Amino acid sequence: MFITDIRKEFYDVVVNQRVALLVSSEIDALCACKILQALFHCDQVQYTLVPVTGWQDLGTAFLEHKEQFRCFVLINCGANVDLLETLQPEEDSIFFICDTHRPVDVVNVYNDTQVKLMIKQDDDLGVPSYDDIFRDEEEEGGNDSGNESDGGSEPSGKRSLITLTFETFHFRREILFDYEQYEYHGTSAAMVIFELAWVLTKDTKDMLWWAIIGLTDQLVHDKITHMKYVTDIATLQRHVSRHNHRNEDEDNSLSIDCMRISFEYDLRLALYQHWSLFESICNSSYTSCNFKLWSMHGQKKLQEFLADMGLPLKQVKQKFNSMDMSVKENLREVIEESSNKYGMKDIRIQTFGVHFGFKNHFLASDVVHATAALLESTEKDDSPGDNFIKALDCLSRSNLERLHGGIDLAKKKLMAIQQTVASCICTNLILSQGPFLYCYLLEGTPDVKLFSKPMALTLLCKYLLKAFVRSTRNKRCKLLPLIIAAPMDVEKRTVIVLGIPPESETSDKKNFFGRAFEKAAESTSSRTLHDHFDTSSKSNVIVIVYIFHKRADMTHYRWALFSIIELKMEDRTKFLDALITLLS
Amino acid sequence: MDPSEVEFLAEKEVVKIIPNFSLDKIYLIGGDLGPFNPGLPVDVPVWLALNLKQRQKCRIVPPEWMDVEKLEEIRELERKEDTFTPVPSPYYMELTKLLLNHASDNIPKADEIRTLVKDIWDTRIAKLRLSADSFISQQEAHAKLDNLTLMEINTTRSFLLDTLNCMYKLRSNLQPGSKYISDVV
Repeated sequence: MFITDIRKEFYDVVVNQRVALLVSSEIDALCACKILQALFHCDQVQYTLVPVTGWQDLGTAFLEHKEQFRCFVLINCGANVDLLETLQPEEDSIFFICDTHRPVDVVNVYNDTQVKLMIKQDDDLGVPSYDDIFRDEEEEGGNDSGNESDGGSEPSGKRSLITLTFETFHFRREILFDYEQYEYHGTSAAMVIFELAWVLTKDTKDMLWWAIIGLTDQLVHDKITHMKYVTDIATLQRHVSRHNHRNEDEDNSLSIDCMRISFEYDLRLALYQHWSLFESICNSSYTSCNFKLWSMHGQKKLQEFLADMGLPLKQVKQKFNSMDMSVKENLREVIEESSNKYGMKDIRIQTFGVHFGFKNHFLASDVVHATAALLESTEKDDSPGDNFIKALDCLSRSNLERLHGGIDLAKKKLMAIQQTVASCICTNLILSQGPFLYCYLLEGTPDVKLFSKPMALTLLCKYLLKAFVRSTRNKRCKLLPLIIAAPMDVEKRTVIVLGIPPESETSDKKNFFGRAFEKAAESTSSRTLHDHFDTSSKSNVIVIVYIFHKRADMTHYRWALFSIIELKMEDRTKFLDALITLLS
Repeated sequence: MDPSEVEFLAEKEVVKIIPNFSLDKIYLIGGDLGPFNPGLPVDVPVWLALNLKQRQKCRIVPPEWMDVEKLEEIRELERKEDTFTPVPSPYYMELTKLLLNHASDNIPKADEIRTLVKDIWDTRIAKLRLSADSFISQQEAHAKLDNLTLMEINTTRSFLLDTLNCMYKLRSNLQPGSKYISDVV
């Protein structure tokens, strides 16, 4: 059921008990976890933090802890699957779920006792009403006989009963199918938990900053639409002004060590203040795709662009902090003006930045890139648990060296993505398989280890699709979705497969691939693992009927998000063939 | 003595806070505290004030002496006099560090206060070093210094005592008498 008063129904219940916090491995979840941890420290609540990377992890963690805990708080996992059926908990276990994955499973919505969802109900959910989906048999019989107002004799009554049952059966399945076919994301979990902190009046600037990072993560990894991002930014902007106003009340200004958050209308160049401007332009997907920097022609255009702005090459190639003040002064406006001439209308984006101490200035997207790089770092001797803790640490203000380390890793990651995209486009590695585009990264590709992780592979995939759309002349190919496969674990011979929807101006960020992957896997009996939370692992048999029935809708381009599965290498080809047949 | 021990002793000092919760009087071994009512100032030891501040349950009111003008006067006085002037609080250095690290948003002009306190500390330590130097070079037997705080004494204590011990041993060896040589060896 949905929680209406988050303070009374969640926090007051949890504050007197020992809690198990199960947190998914993504930045938004990390930020929500940080805010919740700070609240727990204030009230001295005992909790255990368990990072989970997928459904298997969640199941194992639950089994380990179900003896000791009654209260489980799940962050960014668990809403889109029938939780009680998957985990089989005791009668007195309570689950508090704060998840951005939609659609929320109907069983979770209509369970009154054990599953509590910390999701705002006006969040564009579209949950089918209870009566439409659940109906008791007696009620059915009663309804049907009630509908028999034309007064039937027994035989005709029975016939109508059968037809009505069949229709309601279809109707219900159709509603469910419509509801569950597209996956998308809702409001950031960090923002929901920040609101809890605000209601308790325990919100600090640190928590506000974490909420901002959670929202920016959703933008950087393309999980929400631009409209939703702008709306959420406005909400956070109100909080930021409230905090800033509180400080500027006194005529004595604050110590320089205090944290200051400011609203910025800043450039869409990744990490540009911690890198050189030139490198940042080369490695940000927006600018790189617009200039087509994998070709010589693109490089020349970039030089023209810089010359047009009057920025000397020597200045642009050195570290941003060492650039001349005269050059840095109106940099944003100058770049915006020139970008408009080159067809980049949205080079600037609304975001927030933070200042503390004399030399520490970070934009929200910088922190997102750094934390993502730490979370998915592929150095040796780094277990997923260690990476989780390191990424969590780098979000605190006192661990600046870790944050800088993360920024360095992020730079390497962005450069690797750029090079892979350039090589894929130049060597025509993207093939059109009919209903979709397909790309397979061979094992020998440089930096391919980086792409065995879902977030890095997602960034690569989106960048690749944008670049492909710009570089191809085939009009039909521009409207196709992209599926990318990369080797995941060389010893176990598994491959990670990811699908993203086609490039479109008005995408509403809803995804279909989860279902398609499942069906293809089943039909070829490939050994697959739908472990990642972004793919629903419901195996509803009736859905097969509807996939074929709704074939027309499958080619309807209302997709957005992405879906990920793991696959055994040998099964790759037959899985793809099945997918082609399914979608054509 | 370790500087952290001195800081521990400093945490017993009393400071005023404004809580945002309510609690009846609590009876601790060191004394009674409270009752706590939201919005009403109450005196508590620094250790409790810092704990409550970190849990966002109170606002700390800076002590009276932690004010830019007063500290400037003290600093000027300290620079003029040759001897040690009376200090604003016997634990001024520790309290400044603790309060400015944890509650700098409740203390106006925190940066200037930090600089001023550091200046006062530097002047006093310089005077202490000068005094110790003259004590040793003039081979005095006894010295008296007023208005020193525990932290300042603690900075020189181990070094000064070891030095004096060494000097005693060396001096006692200058006496002609072989039985003392074996002591040193």
